[in-house]
Amino acid sequence: MFLYLAPFFAPLALLAVAVYARQAPLGRSQRLPMLAEAAALAALVIAILSAVILLAQGAGTGPLIGLFGVGLAPRIDAVSVIMLILVAFVGWIVVRYSCSYLDGEARQGAFLGWMAATLAAVLLLVQAGNLVHFVFAWIATGFALHRLLLFYRDRVEAQRAARKKRVTTMLGDVALTCAAILLVVGYGTFDIADILAASREGNAPFAVIGAAALLAVAAILKSAQFPTHGWLTEVMETPTPVSALLHAGVINAGGFLLIRFADVMLLAPGVLAVLVMIGGFTALFGGLAMLAQSSVKTSLAWSTIAQMGFMIMQCGLALFPLALLHIVAHSLYKAHAFLASGTAVDLVAAIRRPGPIAIPSGWAVIRAFALALVIYALIGFAFGFDAKSPQAIVLGAILIFGVAYLIAQGLADAAPRVLTRRTALYSVAASISYFALQTGAEWITDDTLPATPPPGPLEWALLALAVFSFGLVAIAQAMFPLWAYHPAAAGLRVHLSNGLYANAVLDRVLGSWIVRRPS
Amino acid sequence: MTTAKPKKTVSAAAIERAMDAAARQIPPLWPLASYVAVNPFLGQTEDTLAETGARLNRIAGLPVTMPRDWYQARIASGEIIEGDLAAALSASPHSGKPEDIGALKAAMHSPRPETKALPTIADLAAEVSGTDWPGLIAERFGAWASGYFDRGQALWAAPRSKRAWTAFCAHATHDLTPEIMGLRGFAAFVADRPDNPMDSVARSIDRLGLSKAALDSYAHQLLFLLGGWAQFARYELWRAELARETDTTITDFLAIRLLWEEALFVQYETDVADRWNEVRTAHQKPVDLTDAQIIEVILQEAAERSAQRNLVDTLAHSPEGGHSGRPVLQAAFCIDVRSEIFRRALEAVDPSIQTLGFAGFFGVFAKHKRFASDVEELRLPVLLNPTVTSCSGGKQTEADDLAARYSARAKRAWGRFKLAAVSSFAFVEAMGPVYAAKLVRDALGLNPTPVPNDPAPRFDPELDLDTRISAAETVLRAMSLTDGFARVVVLAGHGANVVNNPHASGLHCGACGGYSGEVNARLLARLLNDKQVRTGLVERGITVPEDTLFVGALHDTTTDAVTLYDADVSAQDHSTDLKKVRDWLAAAGKVTRGERALRLPRAANESDIASRARDWAEIRPEWALAGCKAFIAAPRSRTAGRSLEGRAFLHDYDWTQDSQNGFGVLELIMTAPVVVASWISLQYYGSTVAPGVFGSGNKLLHNVVGGFGVFEGNGGLLRAGLPWQSVHDGEDYVHEPLRLSVCIEAPREAMNDILGRHDEVRALFDNRWLHLFAMDNNGQLAYRYTGNLNWEAVDADTDGSKLKAVA
Repeated sequence: MFLYLAPFFAPLALLAVAVYARQAPLGRSQRLPMLAEAAALAALVIAILSAVILLAQGAGTGPLIGLFGVGLAPRIDAVSVIMLILVAFVGWIVVRYSCSYLDGEARQGAFLGWMAATLAAVLLLVQAGNLVHFVFAWIATGFALHRLLLFYRDRVEAQRAARKKRVTTMLGDVALTCAAILLVVGYGTFDIADILAASREGNAPFAVIGAAALLAVAAILKSAQFPTHGWLTEVMETPTPVSALLHAGVINAGGFLLIRFADVMLLAPGVLAVLVMIGGFTALFGGLAMLAQSSVKTSLAWSTIAQMGFMIMQCGLALFPLALLHIVAHSLYKAHAFLASGTAVDLVAAIRRPGPIAIPSGWAVIRAFALALVIYALIGFAFGFDAKSPQAIVLGAILIFGVAYLIAQGLADAAPRVLTRRTALYSVAASISYFALQTGAEWITDDTLPATPPPGPLEWALLALAVFSFGLVAIAQAMFPLWAYHPAAAGLRVHLSNGLYANAVLDRVLGSWIVRRPS
Repeated sequence: MTTAKPKKTVSAAAIERAMDAAARQIPPLWPLASYVAVNPFLGQTEDTLAETGARLNRIAGLPVTMPRDWYQARIASGEIIEGDLAAALSASPHSGKPEDIGALKAAMHSPRPETKALPTIADLAAEVSGTDWPGLIAERFGAWASGYFDRGQALWAAPRSKRAWTAFCAHATHDLTPEIMGLRGFAAFVADRPDNPMDSVARSIDRLGLSKAALDSYAHQLLFLLGGWAQFARYELWRAELARETDTTITDFLAIRLLWEEALFVQYETDVADRWNEVRTAHQKPVDLTDAQIIEVILQEAAERSAQRNLVDTLAHSPEGGHSGRPVLQAAFCIDVRSEIFRRALEAVDPSIQTLGFAGFFGVFAKHKRFASDVEELRLPVLLNPTVTSCSGGKQTEADDLAARYSARAKRAWGRFKLAAVSSFAFVEAMGPVYAAKLVRDALGLNPTPVPNDPAPRFDPELDLDTRISAAETVLRAMSLTDGFARVVVLAGHGANVVNNPHASGLHCGACGGYSGEVNARLLARLLNDKQVRTGLVERGITVPEDTLFVGALHDTTTDAVTLYDADVSAQDHSTDLKKVRDWLAAAGKVTRGERALRLPRAANESDIASRARDWAEIRPEWALAGCKAFIAAPRSRTAGRSLEGRAFLHDYDWTQDSQNGFGVLELIMTAPVVVASWISLQYYGSTVAPGVFGSGNKLLHNVVGGFGVFEGNGGLLRAGLPWQSVHDGEDYVHEPLRLSVCIEAPREAMNDILGRHDEVRALFDNRWLHLFAMDNNGQLAYRYTGNLNWEAVDADTDGSKLKAVA
């Protein structure tokens, strides 16, 4: 039983550094960066130990540190352990990066302190076994992150973005707190594992629909879903490692919330359907807006909005293991992309060197889609289609549409045969890798996460809509150069690059551009 | 909308002149792939620093000197002495200067008076409406211009085929943001503008009631406030004019910015009209020098005089000895200040090693295509046009070239797959976990940074023999290297070796157009090893011994490793020599790193330098040219054996040889390397004294835009100049902002003659953007140029810096 307290020491180590940093003097220090990295590494080791405990002892919740069922209770299961390792790993990378990157900053100590505090809060969140624990860690994450976003507190742009972020965070906090209250009222316990077990048995008290809806609202606000995404594209006003941590460790808390409470969410199919629509729309909208972004960090932020949309859509389709896989994969990719964003100059310069880009014709695109479907069928049968839910098969098809774009580039008339072979090879490799990872994710979370229920009429309609809309955008993207520079598309580009003005309207409502005179 | 204002106050021709003049006040900004230092005061060299300060203060509230306490601290520490102040005071050409030292000191201790820039209409509109219009304009302009100039960051590029004016108007008629923010009917306003930007500007000027005199100042202000955007547009004009064409981007930008002003004026006219009237009148007045500006520039000059006293000292004590006989190695490096440390270390390894300093492009004005690349890179000083084209690799490497291209194209297709709308999801789900390994690799610095190792470059097309011989002769004479050749002559270009750094090319060789210098060095080595060329050179009076081998090389300024490209030539006869050369270079590298480690944060000793270079989070991998303060063109014997602390450009120059050729080399030095050095020195100066405007801001917030520039943070203005972390180590400045002291060992008459023929160069010295000294026949700083082709003797008594005028 006490073994299950182990993960608790990961946030504790970082919290100790955060407390120590409170009294760190201004200016260069050798000790604090060393301590911060050591704590981050310790957290990673503890996360891995938790995985060992899970393998050896199975899932379980640690003894409650609190009274009357209310307090902190670490939980070890597949979901929490995966998230613990992910967050601790990204945390170590980001802290290590900050030690070099912020060297010489007068307030490096404060920065490392708040970064450690943020990490501690996220680590606490992902291991939450008690509702109060969960809500506390959730709110603490937002609070600590806010301090990092305002690291340069004199920057007007930083204040503007942080204000906007704070509004969405507060709304999300309220939604989550209300959801937690409804869950406690409905199930009569604060213990998350008990609530999940009860829901899985079909115990659906009246309040649960409301709870699920509020959980969905909290997730949408936390994960920057349309139309509350605006703040995410504006928080480049703080040092790069904060962006990396935010995009890899914090923003997916929304998805984690849905995955953690997957059993509860399944009791509210209507809420899930709304998530599919919002997530799917945000995915396509963010993906298209990203195409027109010229600055590297802004482009990455739009990419995150889109990826979070896709992940929320996966949750809505009840494909929780895949959503978890998406969180892990996206976090690793995005952390690297932000930290390495200084290479953008080299990358752009390299684009033009090998000569002009071969543009696929319409016919090549059609062949590419046919080929992609063939690859899908072959690999799908190899991995076993029959065991898959229709939702998973549809999702696979959407991803294969993406692969088709890669094939299409190799099928362009101007493409030499070597290029065709290479892109075909890459396509097959990407498809195999995708299916292998998907199977792995399902296998690891088999006991922890609920199976995808068979689709009803509503779900079938949503699946059809998803295939249609993603397929349409995939074809548009493959034929991109053929239409994107048509004068008729010029207005579309402007509107999309501005994110359909959702953020501008929010700015107007919040008075973001009002001059604040020092009084 | 209608108001009674004088119509057509300014003629079309006058408007065009004013716009052109405003454009020329803006310095150009090079794209980050080939980033070179630019003098931020390039448009003001006809004025003095004080006059420039007054002008920039009026339009942007900008100081052009350090805060007063910076100078006070130097006076208190004794670094600046009474004599420096006296000399600076007497040298000040401004009539409003303090009467005597007492008055200067009294004035210096009062705080810098608060000044405010004249407001634009956007500022006035913000005051009355409470909406941050200047910020919104910057944000919207940035959103459009970043797409307009994008070099491949966005997969969906903005339409670029049209000129900036039409492209902007097409964008603005679709963009709803200004109207959402409260600028009513802006899209329609833009849609209704005159087609021709000049007509639009004329309309704006009429509506704003600007006179000719007010327009000059106001137009400069509007362009100046566009920051890096105007500078990047000025770059387009610079490139066009070098190719004898022209470009309208920058005047289009002015028209666009005026369109915003006009729209805001129309909306807020009743509230801002009176204030605007005052501002307009203020713009009409000539720029007034304030006492504050004069005093600060005198203090600045005193700081420079103090540094010059040290330089006089350093050059006065010449060490004994010097090697005679054939050197065992001659190594030519770029004049870059970073070479000074390495040259000193290399000479110390063995006294019979001789080093030379020459502009790092080695006289090869190359437009170069690197291996497996279609992109033409201008690897030469940005002041000039290429004279040769070259490429890496030849017939033997054709298959490799093709294979490399296919790999690059497959990688590019993969990159597009990664970024496109739907495929990005597939990419993340399939490949995301791979990034765990990449994160570990980069976090631990396990990724080796490659040294440029393209196949040997060659001229393409090959030059005819006569051209080759002439080129070889010109370069050797310019290097003052016409006899006494060693068995091995290393020609070392330089480049930095850093990772994850958007400003990496700014650390490369400025003389090679912001690229690393190995291509030019290898091309010259190839030329000088050419048997036919050597035969031809004999006829021109230069005999290169048969056993002399030229080897191209690359000095990595981040790690001080030197790569020899000896595989380019048949070097079997020299293999033992080259082995020794490698040992010497390695030993010198170690000494150099040791010296540099003292200045670098978090580098306890020389062995830390390599890991810092590979650290993807390191924002100060090297100090580049920070600290530069002197340019010395003289034989190496004048500077050898003493430390110039990596703060001097060293150009080898022997005027006695050159006098036989009518001082052609001197003219070249004063008009090219000296000007390039002034750009570097003044870039550091500007980025230090006004980092908010002339520096590119905080590296921790840099957001690369379009592959050509950086934002600081979300967006808005493009940022030019050096990052704050390149001039400051977090605790103190690493660059002392001092205008460069150019010291040339040559007769004053010859220099006067050249200055008389080159007005722009003369303006740099006359208006004190550079100091000029003549060295005497003993290598001492003997005469100071005082402007207007006059000189005064530098007193050898260096503790008082007493000066006496000479006729």
